[in-house]
Amino acid sequence: MATHDIFMPALSSTMTEGKIVEWLKKPGDKVERGESVLVVESDKADMDVESFQEGYLAAVLMPAGSNAPVGETIGLIVETEAEIADVQAKAPSPSTHETSKEKAKEVPKSAKASSEATSEKSTAIKEPVSSSNQSQVDIKTAPIVNTGRIVASPRAKKLATQKGVDLATVIGSGPHGRIQAEDVNRALGQPITVPWIAESNAPASLLADPSTNKNSNKKGTTSPDALIGKSFGKPGEVIAFNALQQAVNRNMEASLTTPCFRVGYTISTDKFDDLYKQVKPSGVTMTALLAKAVGLTLARHPQVNAANSPEGINYPSQINVAVAVAMEDGGLITPVLQKVDSTGLIELSKQWKDLVSRSRTKQLQPEEYSTGTFTLSNLGMFGVDRFDAILPPGTGAILAIAASRPTVVAGKDGSISIRKQMQVNLTADHRVIYGADGAAFLKDLAHLIEVRTDELAG
Amino acid sequence: MLVDKGKLIKTTSLANTLSTFLFEPSGFIPFPLAWEWQRNWQKALLSKEDGNQAVWILQHPRCYTMGRGASERNLLFDPRNSSMDLYRIDRGGEVTHHLPGQLVVYPVLDLHRHKQDLHWYLRKLEAVLIDVLDHLDLEGETIPGMTGVWIKGRKVASIGVGCRRWVTQHGLALNIDCEMDGFQNVIPCGLHECPMGRLKDWIPGISVPEVQPLMKKAISKAFNITWKKQPLPESRPGQIKKKS
Repeated sequence: MATHDIFMPALSSTMTEGKIVEWLKKPGDKVERGESVLVVESDKADMDVESFQEGYLAAVLMPAGSNAPVGETIGLIVETEAEIADVQAKAPSPSTHETSKEKAKEVPKSAKASSEATSEKSTAIKEPVSSSNQSQVDIKTAPIVNTGRIVASPRAKKLATQKGVDLATVIGSGPHGRIQAEDVNRALGQPITVPWIAESNAPASLLADPSTNKNSNKKGTTSPDALIGKSFGKPGEVIAFNALQQAVNRNMEASLTTPCFRVGYTISTDKFDDLYKQVKPSGVTMTALLAKAVGLTLARHPQVNAANSPEGINYPSQINVAVAVAMEDGGLITPVLQKVDSTGLIELSKQWKDLVSRSRTKQLQPEEYSTGTFTLSNLGMFGVDRFDAILPPGTGAILAIAASRPTVVAGKDGSISIRKQMQVNLTADHRVIYGADGAAFLKDLAHLIEVRTDELAG
Repeated sequence: MLVDKGKLIKTTSLANTLSTFLFEPSGFIPFPLAWEWQRNWQKALLSKEDGNQAVWILQHPRCYTMGRGASERNLLFDPRNSSMDLYRIDRGGEVTHHLPGQLVVYPVLDLHRHKQDLHWYLRKLEAVLIDVLDHLDLEGETIPGMTGVWIKGRKVASIGVGCRRWVTQHGLALNIDCEMDGFQNVIPCGLHECPMGRLKDWIPGISVPEVQPLMKKAISKAFNITWKKQPLPESRPGQIKKKS
């Protein structure tokens, strides 16, 4: 049987990933050689992607609206009609990927109908497969759930090779049963790493998603497994940077031309933590709360929201707080909360959840990660007590937030108490923001968090 | 000059020896008509490796167009309940407003003969616009990550391109002395903070006929194109039958 991959084409030497705008064919459709199968967009340019083979579109692996790296397999073409069902049977689980759900509204009718159709077929054929092939494998390994062609993300393939996992034994949770890196980890019984998103500034157990890693949750401490540092390659290997890592590299290198200084402050968070407990049930996240505190303080310190430009000091018309999020497969992204000073906490939290879920599936629009006027970087969930951040180009300052930890504090009156304190560290472009500006900003931020906490809830 | 086509085809050096037609139809050309011209030309160029390229420079009556991936959220009117002409078309980008006083340029080029790189092509179209503005002593700016050209923070030109086997269609639109009210009905390019501008804001009294020759020159310079004489009257695109 001959299956041909449809790859995400390179529309440009500078294109690292492309957006699938529309599938012009749906699974099962006949495709002529040279006929357009889908439309890919990169920047403001659309390209019709044509089939090099005559045959049938057997599977759509990435739904319309999703982004895929250049070279990624996004669809499959088979030569005969009989092979269609065969390929579709390789999809062990129905398409439950959040991208397809989220984008359902925007997905053209044809693609939606087709994904439903393939889901039905695939579940029907799923069961008999494992039993008929099990005899061929070593008994000690997990049962085979995939036969024939295995559809897996590049990261999943790499991870599987590193950890010695047979992908034939892994159930894919991606679109049409595509195996994702999480699935390989799940097969290994390992905690699943989620993007490092600050949802607490306490030294909480890190990384692990509480729903899948009860281990660390119960004990309240970090399991040794989860403390193992991540690596993208094996010892002795050189692994090429992925697109996101390259983008981060460029931004970080650009910062070398910026004359930065750092200024730090220790802030007590007892009152702030109490507020968080109060508002948490209404869906407010720690990220939103921190962003709000920073946004309100920036409104009183426009200089710290400003940035250097060739013409002079650029004062943005909005206060947009970007929050750094490390991506599981390398690199980081800075989703932006817009107009933080004038947006409510619940709305900010809602927006943040949406931004995070879409950044995981790489579906953010450029304006959703490139319009920050100030950046937050929170490593509090690792328990770090201090760090400094590198200034992203185009902005004037970034705030590094460490964990809030119980600390013995001596009061001015000689009293001794235990308070929760966190260290924050501002990195700023000295051309725009001077030491006194940064210090005044931090003092005001500390006052808001420690004393005027009520203003945050409003 | 005698050249071995088999060896030279698809190299940049051949670009200037391959001819390109320039069409400058007068009046306000309905969008669907200009679109049809481009599609027909694209089709012809796809079927003939050494076919002629073409560029249209024209103006449209008031209408709105949306790229294939565009979101209706960026329309501030109800497309199903509005008298405004709205076309969803095969190019990249969000919603765009066309109207008299705005010059649009539609190059149907075979990028095999230039560079098979759509980002390069987009940057080249920006360079064309900046070149035109430069001749008018205006300083056009681009913003990395946001295709288009700005003057002092106001967007004066939009770009959106469609491509099939490296043959392009659609292109750019430059606001010269157009009315600005129609832009209030949309979120141009999907950007909330995107004030639109026109050249008239900086050069009072400027009009399309003044800019058009500059545009023609800038295009030919940027893509190393020598304009070919207009084809015989019977094949003039202006005479392609209007769709009923």
